[in-house]
Amino acid sequence: MKHIKTIETRNLCESAKKGGCGECQTSCQSACKTSCGIANQQCESTKESKENK
Amino acid sequence: MIHQYMLGGYNIVLDVCSGGVHVVDDVAYDIISMFETESREDILAAMKEKYVGKDGITEADIEECYDDVVSLKDSGKLFAPDTFEPMAGHLKAKTSGVIKALCLHIAHTCNLNCSYCFASQGKYHGERAVMSFEVGKQALDFLIANSGSRRNLEVDFFGGEPLVNFQVVKDLVAYARSIEKEHGKNFRFTLTTNGLLIDEDVIEFCNRECHNVVLSLDGRKEIHDRFRVDYAGNGSWDRIVPKFQQLVEARNGQGYYMRGTFTHANPDFLKDIQVMLDLGFNELSMEPVVAAPDDPSALTEEDKAIVMEQYEKLAMLMLDKDKEGKPFTFYHYMIDLTGGPCIYKRISGCGSGTEYMAVTPWGDLYPCHQFVGEEKFKLGDVWKGVDNTEIQNEFAECNVYARPECRDCWARLYCSGGCAANAYHATGSVKGVYKFGCDLFRKRMECAIMVAIARQLGE
Repeated sequence: MKHIKTIETRNLCESAKKGGCGECQTSCQSACKTSCGIANQQCESTKESKENK
Repeated sequence: MIHQYMLGGYNIVLDVCSGGVHVVDDVAYDIISMFETESREDILAAMKEKYVGKDGITEADIEECYDDVVSLKDSGKLFAPDTFEPMAGHLKAKTSGVIKALCLHIAHTCNLNCSYCFASQGKYHGERAVMSFEVGKQALDFLIANSGSRRNLEVDFFGGEPLVNFQVVKDLVAYARSIEKEHGKNFRFTLTTNGLLIDEDVIEFCNRECHNVVLSLDGRKEIHDRFRVDYAGNGSWDRIVPKFQQLVEARNGQGYYMRGTFTHANPDFLKDIQVMLDLGFNELSMEPVVAAPDDPSALTEEDKAIVMEQYEKLAMLMLDKDKEGKPFTFYHYMIDLTGGPCIYKRISGCGSGTEYMAVTPWGDLYPCHQFVGEEKFKLGDVWKGVDNTEIQNEFAECNVYARPECRDCWARLYCSGGCAANAYHATGSVKGVYKFGCDLFRKRMECAIMVAIARQLGE
């Protein structure tokens, strides 16, 4: 598209089908300890599949 | 729902429910802003009047751009509807009864006397105490017994200052390592320390056993030493910085956060980030102070404007440092657009009180470290487990759709409803909203996504 560049992202609707394994890090546990935000968490299952490539 | 903003020279459009991120030109930016409220004819007429003839833009360009927006909508990447609410409770219930992380309060005492400490100098408004090995061992057994099929278990050694009780930390890690394989578990240990007691023994232990180490440093010496003083009133900066440098070097610069707190004394915290960088630290976290509004260290509305500007400058500094070949990490700007959390995580939040609990030196369980000392939030203990199901249910019901204020917020699937402790302290309810924190969070997300875009586009 000439006017729009779409950045590659994880499709959240798709993740509803397979998500929820629960292996990811607890949000603020090992870092900030005072504010919740989950955007900076990594998905353990996509991390593993990336590492195995 | 979409969110549009301009930052760092980019026109950015976020599609909230699909997670889509788009960088657009001015024409597309305007078309998208009108798309849901105006007709095709009206939009095209307005765009032609505004843009045709400028920078060689033709009527055909504008019609093509409109069609692109329609195409993105049809493919579910723009204006995607929110279909998650009906499944919110179900998604959170997926982990019901499973605990995967504990914050062990190894010491409710500290060798520093920081007036801004949310844990009241480590005492959590109670008696000074250290955790015994027996209590810690029972906590680890409790975690394993309640972790279901979860393999990765997180344990943070926290305080107060955990290194005043270092032998128990070492003994607990040795115990956990001796039983993790037979139970099919993988413990990930972290340690949060003010640095005063770091020595060769601590460094060797951290590098062998700790997945992450959180090191408390507020940046500039005068800022750090304003609050982070010993009981004689002496600043700690000169004593801890060389120890932190030694520890980080021994870890090859990996697996740590240099974590600072900014307060009313330093809303211009970028200067503190710069000091951390100059000292050779590249994995950084800088947090707004958690304090009651009448506390002199609390951030004010006037500070907020400064902080917002600092966040934008920080984002630009990160990109400048990338170009210099000296990249650094800022915890709140870490965002993996392709490998980030699934929708379950985005809806469910941090897991406090359900997947995550704090353990006091006496073995009492609380929803998280920030609730320790608030007696009514005591969930149970590590021997008999959770028996205060009324309070636990309050936390189990915490999801992004449980907070009416989040419904219209574009950032809700990046923050998942925010911190229950911040909400409680601001509003008296764990299902409330800490609006000051929300404003800062939204700014951080805008900056984080802009940095990710710039990096992905290689500009």
